Amino acid sequence: MSARVIAGQECRDLWLSGRGPVLTFAYAVLLSAVTYLAATNQVLNFLEQRESVNLVLQIAVAVGVLLTMVVAADAISGERERGTFESLLLAPVSRGSIVLGKLVAAMSLWGAAFVVALPYLWVLGKGVAVVGQAVLLGLVVGTVLALSMAAIGLLISARSTTNKVSLAASLFLVLALFAPTQLPAMPTSSVGDVLVRINPVTAGSHYIQLVLLKGHAWTQDLSYLISPVVAVVVTVVALAVAGPRIVRLTGGVGSG
Amino acid sequence: MPGVSLEARELSKWFGSRTAVDSVSFTAHEGEVIGLLGPNGAGKTTTIRMLSTVLPPTGGEFSVAGVPSSRSADIRARIGVLPESAGYPVHQTGLEYLTYHGRLFGLSREEARQTAVRLLGQVGLADRAQSRISTYSRGMRQRLGIARALVNNPSVVFLDEPTLGLDPAGQREILALVRAIAEARGTTVVLSTHTLPEVEQVCSSVLILDKGRVLVSGSVAEVTSTEAASRQSGHLRVPPDQVARASEVLRGVPGVSVEVAKDVVTVTSSDGLNEALSAVLDARITVLSFEVDGVRLSDAFLAMTRGGAS
Repeated sequence: MSARVIAGQECRDLWLSGRGPVLTFAYAVLLSAVTYLAATNQVLNFLEQRESVNLVLQIAVAVGVLLTMVVAADAISGERERGTFESLLLAPVSRGSIVLGKLVAAMSLWGAAFVVALPYLWVLGKGVAVVGQAVLLGLVVGTVLALSMAAIGLLISARSTTNKVSLAASLFLVLALFAPTQLPAMPTSSVGDVLVRINPVTAGSHYIQLVLLKGHAWTQDLSYLISPVVAVVVTVVALAVAGPRIVRLTGGVGSG
Repeated sequence: MPGVSLEARELSKWFGSRTAVDSVSFTAHEGEVIGLLGPNGAGKTTTIRMLSTVLPPTGGEFSVAGVPSSRSADIRARIGVLPESAGYPVHQTGLEYLTYHGRLFGLSREEARQTAVRLLGQVGLADRAQSRISTYSRGMRQRLGIARALVNNPSVVFLDEPTLGLDPAGQREILALVRAIAEARGTTVVLSTHTLPEVEQVCSSVLILDKGRVLVSGSVAEVTSTEAASRQSGHLRVPPDQVARASEVLRGVPGVSVEVAKDVVTVTSSDGLNEALSAVLDARITVLSFEVDGVRLSDAFLAMTRGGAS
């Protein structure tokens, strides 16, 4: 009950304060630019239609997850700095409810990002029958990645002494995880394949490529989803176990 | 005698090797307004944070309305707190803010809204209920914070520096509100402040902290009389030709220090002034007037904390 009340208020704070709409608008502008370049520039565009859909989906997932993590990273340390966190801690609600409420609010941004990406995927995928597949892949892989990153963001936020530290650490982590996806050819050797598989972001990204570009069946390369699923289970369990202990008035190790 | 609503026993808090609060013990009764005084860093805010379960104590225990400190959620349901430098979600209206906090305390949406409307009226914000908090003055925010502290009809209210940064009119409003909370609701109020006249106005008892320890506790009269008994001063007026002799006689009284300015002899004694006055009368010096300084809480506070006040 209290988690629902907190989640509702956190969502209102995110979306009515202007932060959520601004982030979503910036995200939509980015997707518009990428989609425009992929769809209309016939001279420079060497991508096949499937590749265009894959490109936009990869960017939509990457940026959507990044924004979700940023919101999560601000959720606790930001409230501490704004002086509003103590009032929340003074209510007779469990720390777990506070964490869950903030997690739901952060995930609402991923939900909005996903909805915003739909028309772009539809425009690019018209005629090659990949839109449904792309939407489903984005929903499944993106939600798993967004949930794990939001949980990590909340853990970092609860532990950080300042909001800047929390945002910087979270951004660094998410960019470090996404960086390998920009390498030209991912699993070219067994070592490379292991590296792709152990990083939940590269593994998820590679799985999307295999299904969308190479036309593999969904069940054929499911092993690539092991690390994203493990990541989401581990981070959510860590948040459930450690969250109530580290959600407190001050951040940092040994504080409070 | 009203029942005990708040009891702290040997409450302590260490941050690493630094002691913030050291074995603080006190008791507060229903309807009592207890002033928590002390210079910066004395441990007032840490004490309030421990009693409001935001910080776990390193040692000791406490109870609120009979609920032991081990049941922190139950304690939070029975207390209201205005934290020091409380922040507010500026995009919310006062009504939304209080309704949300009412819901956190288990009220239904409708009950929370009704409570919010009632409290906004009580703190004088009824006409600004639908305004965003960003448009509120500091005094209005403090009143909103006090309303938030009352949203669950608490047994004990902790107010940490509620008048900080307010103009005299704003301070008066807040103090009137504090008095009303204690009198009308029978709520125990723990008021942490630097402003000593406030304490004299509204508090029935005080607790003076310094470096995390309780220096003295008791009613305002008891605390001031402690200081009055330990050091008193008075102003003796005698005819101009007898000032030098009066000064000489007084200097002969053990424990008395004397200052002379414009025919007025200021006498300070750590053992009371009776002996000094007797010595003057015994020397057949004509006493035109003798005024004993009234000892105020601020004198006691400054003396006990060695002038290290705010």
